Amino acid sequence: MTNTVLIIEDEAQIHRAVRASLRNVTTNILEATTGQAGLNTVTTQHPDLIILDLGLPDIPGIRVCQMIRTTSTAPILVLTARHDEAEKVALLNAGADDYVTKPFGTSELAARVAAQLRRARTSKPWPESILTIDGLVIDLTKRVVTRSGVPVRLTPTEWTLLRTLATDPGRVMTHQQIFEAVWQRQYGDFRQYLRVHITNLRRKIERDPAKPRIVITEPGVGYRFSVPS
Amino acid sequence: MTRARKGNTTKGDRPDRSASHSALSVWSLWLFLLILATLVMYSVREQVSQAHVVLLYLLLVLGGSISGGRALGFTFAAGCVFLIDYFFQRPFDAITVGKSLDMILLISFLATALVATQLLALAKAEAARARAHAMEVERLSIEAGHAEALREANRFKDILIASVSHDLRTPLTTIKALAQDIAVGGDGAIENGAVIAEQAERLSRMVSDVLDLSRLNSESLVMQPELNTAEDLVGATVQQFIGIPDAVRRIHTVIDYSRPALLGTFDFVQTLRILTNLVDNALRYGPAETPVTLTVSSDNGMLAFDVADEGPGVPVAEQDSIFEPFYRPPHMAHDTGSAGLGLSIARRLAEAQEGSVTYAQAAGAGSVFTLRLPAVEVAEDGVIG
Repeated sequence: MTNTVLIIEDEAQIHRAVRASLRNVTTNILEATTGQAGLNTVTTQHPDLIILDLGLPDIPGIRVCQMIRTTSTAPILVLTARHDEAEKVALLNAGADDYVTKPFGTSELAARVAAQLRRARTSKPWPESILTIDGLVIDLTKRVVTRSGVPVRLTPTEWTLLRTLATDPGRVMTHQQIFEAVWQRQYGDFRQYLRVHITNLRRKIERDPAKPRIVITEPGVGYRFSVPS
Repeated sequence: MTRARKGNTTKGDRPDRSASHSALSVWSLWLFLLILATLVMYSVREQVSQAHVVLLYLLLVLGGSISGGRALGFTFAAGCVFLIDYFFQRPFDAITVGKSLDMILLISFLATALVATQLLALAKAEAARARAHAMEVERLSIEAGHAEALREANRFKDILIASVSHDLRTPLTTIKALAQDIAVGGDGAIENGAVIAEQAERLSRMVSDVLDLSRLNSESLVMQPELNTAEDLVGATVQQFIGIPDAVRRIHTVIDYSRPALLGTFDFVQTLRILTNLVDNALRYGPAETPVTLTVSSDNGMLAFDVADEGPGVPVAEQDSIFEPFYRPPHMAHDTGSAGLGLSIARRLAEAQEGSVTYAQAAGAGSVFTLRLPAVEVAEDGVIG
């Protein structure tokens, strides 16, 4: 099955670079040079993934994101020129799934697109109940985590945190989104302790907590659960 | 004073009106006091001596000229002469001067009042001049400070442009030549493509370094210090080197996992740049295959990140200069892939959040760069839930 990727991008050179990057991922590529044209294509052609450049001439990128989300659940990968974490957080909260900063490498973009396509295929409507990643086995229904058959003991908070992240592998979750999912029913300032809980969780589940391969930090934005290979 | 202020502010309608308004109220106030004093003394004029009357009027003239200026002082002096003569010198209620002594009294009152008013006015003018002078001096010194800062910024810009244009040219030349060769179908397109990608990467790094430094210089970089763990920072730093051959394998981390996670208050994104710069340097200056050791500890309320390499180390004479922007060791080739900004950016970013970056000679051979940041002590049970 070939995936359809829509590129919403007004600069021809970047178009070309994106197309070249995707050569080994898919050849089924749709193009739009304005936000409005992109939105029309989303409703008529139902692409499997959308690559959206933020600097469109007609509609602000964040608005395009929100409008796509009213009609489509396809992953949105944003291309941004700025290393601005606040902007990334706003985009993710508006429904984007991932972002790549210009200048990007072809292999990096291809890997991100492939990961999002894989994620879209496997994570609907609900991920498998047993995830295996980097030697760690997470049983989401039995609530058991093991490494090499040895159970890993997690506190209730650490378990909720792991389950929240593992439910959507490959997707960047903002601090805010994680906080709302894990601590929604509790009072108090738990937000600042999120990073402490992540650190403690890593000490229990990662082979080397200083070189994490399961829970990945997205600096200034949030965390991402690696896609099981 | 009032007149001078009026003169200065004739164009501004509002201040002018308020100045004349305040002058009017000062005159009314003193006129009221004068009438009140006259009435009181008038009611007891049989009992009081002329000396008392004169002294009280003198007081009013002086008070009036202090708050109302010379015009008020002179007017009051003249008015009081008339009042003394008319109400308080016998024969009462007539302008005639009875005794010659009374005449002397009137004249000396007038002279005293006029001289005192004049002296007061002069003193006030002197004080105003001194104040204006002080303000002028202050204004000039502020302007001089601005000029100095502008000169400094311009000097920095000159160095920046000179250094950057030189540093950008090498990768640009390579990219241009190799790309043109590929475009006309030359041999070795795959190898040349790889070199172009590498040089483009180098350009990209320089551009972001220069942007960072200019943002730091214009102080438009806003730090967002938050509670973070040292381990999260170390993990994210290692993450930055994924994809660079051998890099992750060469980075050895030393963290005491038997103790609770070390916490600090720092801006995660900016601090990641600091530590990435230090590790990047260590990887480049340490010989291939040698480890770069990243040790995390805490002492005296500070988190410490030691980045140690097994390179040649830095000669004593250069240990301060390496933190200067665009500094390049004399023995080092130009083609190192950096504009010499990494350490100066690292130090400035650390200092912007009450931290520091320092250099020390390693015990054996090599360098140790230490990043220190404010630590946070939290009770274990307060954190782990």
